[in-house]
Amino acid sequence: MIGAFIDGPLWYFSLTVFLLGVAWRLAGIVRRGVAADLAPARGDAARGALRTIFTRALPRRPVLHGGRVQMIAGYLFHLGLLVLLLFAQPHVDFYAERIAGFGWSTLPHWGFILASEIAFAGLILLWIYRVMNPVTRLLSGFGDHVASLLVFMVMFSGCLALGQSHEALRLLHLFLAELLLLYFPFSSLMHTFTFVLSRGYTGAAMARKGVNA
Amino acid sequence: MSERIERAREEMSKQVDGKVAAYFSSCVRCGLCAEACHFHVETNDPRFAPIYKLEPMRKVWRREQTLGGRLSGFFSSRDELREEDFAEWEELVYDSCNLCGRCSMVCPLGIDLAYMLRRQRSAFAVAGYVPEGMRTALQRTLELGSPMGVSLKTIDATLEQVEKRCGLKVPVDRKGAEYMTIFSSMEVVNFPEYIESLALIFDAAGLSWTLSSRAFEATNAGIQVGDNAAAREIVERIVSAAEELGVRYVISPECGHAYTAIRWEGPNLIGRPYRFEVVHILELLDRLQRDGRLQIGSRSDRPMTLHDPCQIVRRGGVVDPPRHLLAAVASGFVEMRDHGTMNWCCGGGGGVSANERAEQLRLRVFKRKKRQLDELGVDTLVTACANCRIVLEEGLEHYEMDTEVISLTELIAVHLK
Amino acid sequence: MHRLWPGLVLLLCLCSSLNVAGQTGSEGIAVPNPGSELWREVRQRSQPLPPGGQSEAPGLALLQEIRQRRLSEMPVGRSQLAGSGAGAVFINSLGDTWRRLRMERLVPIGGYLLGGALLLVLLFYLIRGRVPIRAGRSQHKLYRYSPYERLIHWFIAFNFILLALSGLILLFGRSLLLPWMGPQLFSAVASASKEGHNLFGPLFLLALALIFLQFVRRNIYQKGDLTWLLRGGGVIGKKHVPSNFFNMGEKTMFWMLILVGGVTALSGLVLLFPLFGQGRELMALSHLAHAVTAIVMITVIIGHIYIGTIGMEGALEGMRTGYCDLNWAREHHDWWAQKCEERGETVSAEDVARARGEVSPAHIAEERGR
Repeated sequence: MIGAFIDGPLWYFSLTVFLLGVAWRLAGIVRRGVAADLAPARGDAARGALRTIFTRALPRRPVLHGGRVQMIAGYLFHLGLLVLLLFAQPHVDFYAERIAGFGWSTLPHWGFILASEIAFAGLILLWIYRVMNPVTRLLSGFGDHVASLLVFMVMFSGCLALGQSHEALRLLHLFLAELLLLYFPFSSLMHTFTFVLSRGYTGAAMARKGVNA
Repeated sequence: MSERIERAREEMSKQVDGKVAAYFSSCVRCGLCAEACHFHVETNDPRFAPIYKLEPMRKVWRREQTLGGRLSGFFSSRDELREEDFAEWEELVYDSCNLCGRCSMVCPLGIDLAYMLRRQRSAFAVAGYVPEGMRTALQRTLELGSPMGVSLKTIDATLEQVEKRCGLKVPVDRKGAEYMTIFSSMEVVNFPEYIESLALIFDAAGLSWTLSSRAFEATNAGIQVGDNAAAREIVERIVSAAEELGVRYVISPECGHAYTAIRWEGPNLIGRPYRFEVVHILELLDRLQRDGRLQIGSRSDRPMTLHDPCQIVRRGGVVDPPRHLLAAVASGFVEMRDHGTMNWCCGGGGGVSANERAEQLRLRVFKRKKRQLDELGVDTLVTACANCRIVLEEGLEHYEMDTEVISLTELIAVHLK
Repeated sequence: MHRLWPGLVLLLCLCSSLNVAGQTGSEGIAVPNPGSELWREVRQRSQPLPPGGQSEAPGLALLQEIRQRRLSEMPVGRSQLAGSGAGAVFINSLGDTWRRLRMERLVPIGGYLLGGALLLVLLFYLIRGRVPIRAGRSQHKLYRYSPYERLIHWFIAFNFILLALSGLILLFGRSLLLPWMGPQLFSAVASASKEGHNLFGPLFLLALALIFLQFVRRNIYQKGDLTWLLRGGGVIGKKHVPSNFFNMGEKTMFWMLILVGGVTALSGLVLLFPLFGQGRELMALSHLAHAVTAIVMITVIIGHIYIGTIGMEGALEGMRTGYCDLNWAREHHDWWAQKCEERGETVSAEDVARARGEVSPAHIAEERGR
């Protein structure tokens, strides 16, 4: 019965909360608005915004030394997670069945496993670093740890369910993913979407001044 | 809660615009900004992580913009912005930030921390939590016209001296001139050579220029403090004087934050575009040299390096002109390792040089600049900001270094044909 | 544990004799073969399970029959399936030997060993208590581990604990968990443990490599280590025993981790990737090596965790904050502490607190003024 609940109503509920919450947060940002800049521009804002959205994905030399760990672990985690979210067979099957209605080509099993190893290594290193490094420890609040823990639990339960032989394990994974969806709009996980805005705003403002940010 | 703090809280809320909301929403507390901040890397103090300096503003954002913050705010006032927050953060916000924007360049989420810190200072100004030195500098600007108390009389005396030395007339209040120059009081008091250099260069280039007796002060302490009403008043002085004289261009002096104030913040402060164009002296010199109106006669072969003033280069966009100009007059021009938009601040920007209680800290973080210079082994440092210049000189003296600091404009004037 | 070695040797003998049997047996497809006769017998017997239970399962009687025969009389046959290597042997009594070794030797002995280690630690704590810093905490600290060193330490610790827990479930779960979990729940837990264990295994190998590269230089045995050993590392008796950055015990722990833990990791890889033609014998042997070395390592790490946490005052600090107490260093790593002090590398406890952000945000000016 719990299984049916997790698989049915709770899934739709958490998806709704996720979608509405994210929309509400994004609307809040857009509604606040940004005053038009009256100073004459030196460069093209739109181009700058677009450029910065992409170039900030690359590390900046000045922080390469002190921020080595975050850089490397950050890449491992994000790339690994992206690949296993989008190209793992069980996930694609799930999207095809529940959301999209169609599937797409997936990674072979070993690719899936490799992606999860990479994502796990990245997440664990980032998490240890968060509690270890004085700066991140000072900055991190309860919410940041909850977010890390939830993401870890979702990934971990997913890895436990890799055998695909026990419905209970699949449901546990789904349940934790639902918790993550529910928590998402309340947390800094929002950066998944807002990074486009923040990079774009900065890129535009700096390009107006003639600086390649 | 006093009415003042209530107003400060409202101001803080007003300062949380869409950009700030996007920035806070994006921040994942990775702490990379700390690696770009000279206050952090030189002291290892985690409180100097740029994003930590923004906690008061973040509190307001959280309460108003996030689901969790709204919920908890509905039931309790525990997370509300309080007077203690202003008191505790005042030093982080004013003493340990130069608004240099280096952190804004490295954030992987693209967060412009300097933009937020500038806005946060507005609420601190309303709350009255501003360091003594900066407060009095602003007061002097409003009352006497200049943060250093430079009056028209002082200017007149300086101009007389300048005219005597270079044998050229410095035009004042000349209607219909094409260019109007403004100065930072630091230049009038400590570096009159700058004014002399302008007279020589403009004469050589055949430029029609003038000074205004009503508005000669370019610096804007209102912006550093975060007092927007005061900042607006200071900008308006220049704008009305320039528009009355009918000039086409106002030349922003070498001073860094004066450029940000008049070029980038000014129109937004007064709420309309100017009827003239603002041009930085380095931009103008670069333009004149390209047009062939400025002839360089000789080149120095002394090894020289360039200290980029943050507000002119990284936050102002005048990145290439100083390099073209310096390369034109110095064959031994070499760059420091972190230069251009990634330079390290001298430590005096953002009003820190006017804040006496921050002196020890400022000298301590100057070590970053010292290291850059030691690494390069060049003992002539060219810069284009009177404030940087005085801060650099103090730092060099403190660490007993034999480095000479010279102004780029003055260097050009010396090498005129 | 020594009782296990004869078992391994026996297994090796089994393997080699089996190989010989395989070679002397028919090459490729050889019909008729004695095994197939037996198999046919099994199939004919395969009927629905009687409600009685497992003991009546088909094939069991047959296996018992095979076990009772002597090795030389074994009806070794070959499958007609190509491509499964040595695994193509039809009825493999080696598998059963391995199974029995695992259930009858490994599980009980391993269990007693681990239980014993825990008991020993507890006993030691009750008798000896927490080793204090005799001179009390000092106002000064020494920089002991860099952030990177601490990072990889906690990384390997994290992986080790996950692997140890899941591995123990796989080894002992059948005897300890199954009875009270019931087959359904235990089956899920075991499957989860297996998948988790497999996924985190390679990460442990990665962490092990990082640890080796970072710490190997300080773990080479040097003069004075033997004295430390002879004097019981200060555990026996109350006298002060000087040592270097790492003492003999820590160095031995390091080399055990690298060598014994290395065998665990590598044998794990053999089990995890059966893609390179490794046969059943090698797999069985790897499994035993994996389990035996893992149990040894868990025992060692229990001691490591004990002495690093509740067993000794000030021991955790270095790995937690990067700095250790000067008096602690003097008492446990005297030679290293001396060298640090000579080089003037002591840091005040206050500076460490500030660098760790354990002070309030304000009052920068006054602090900096000093």
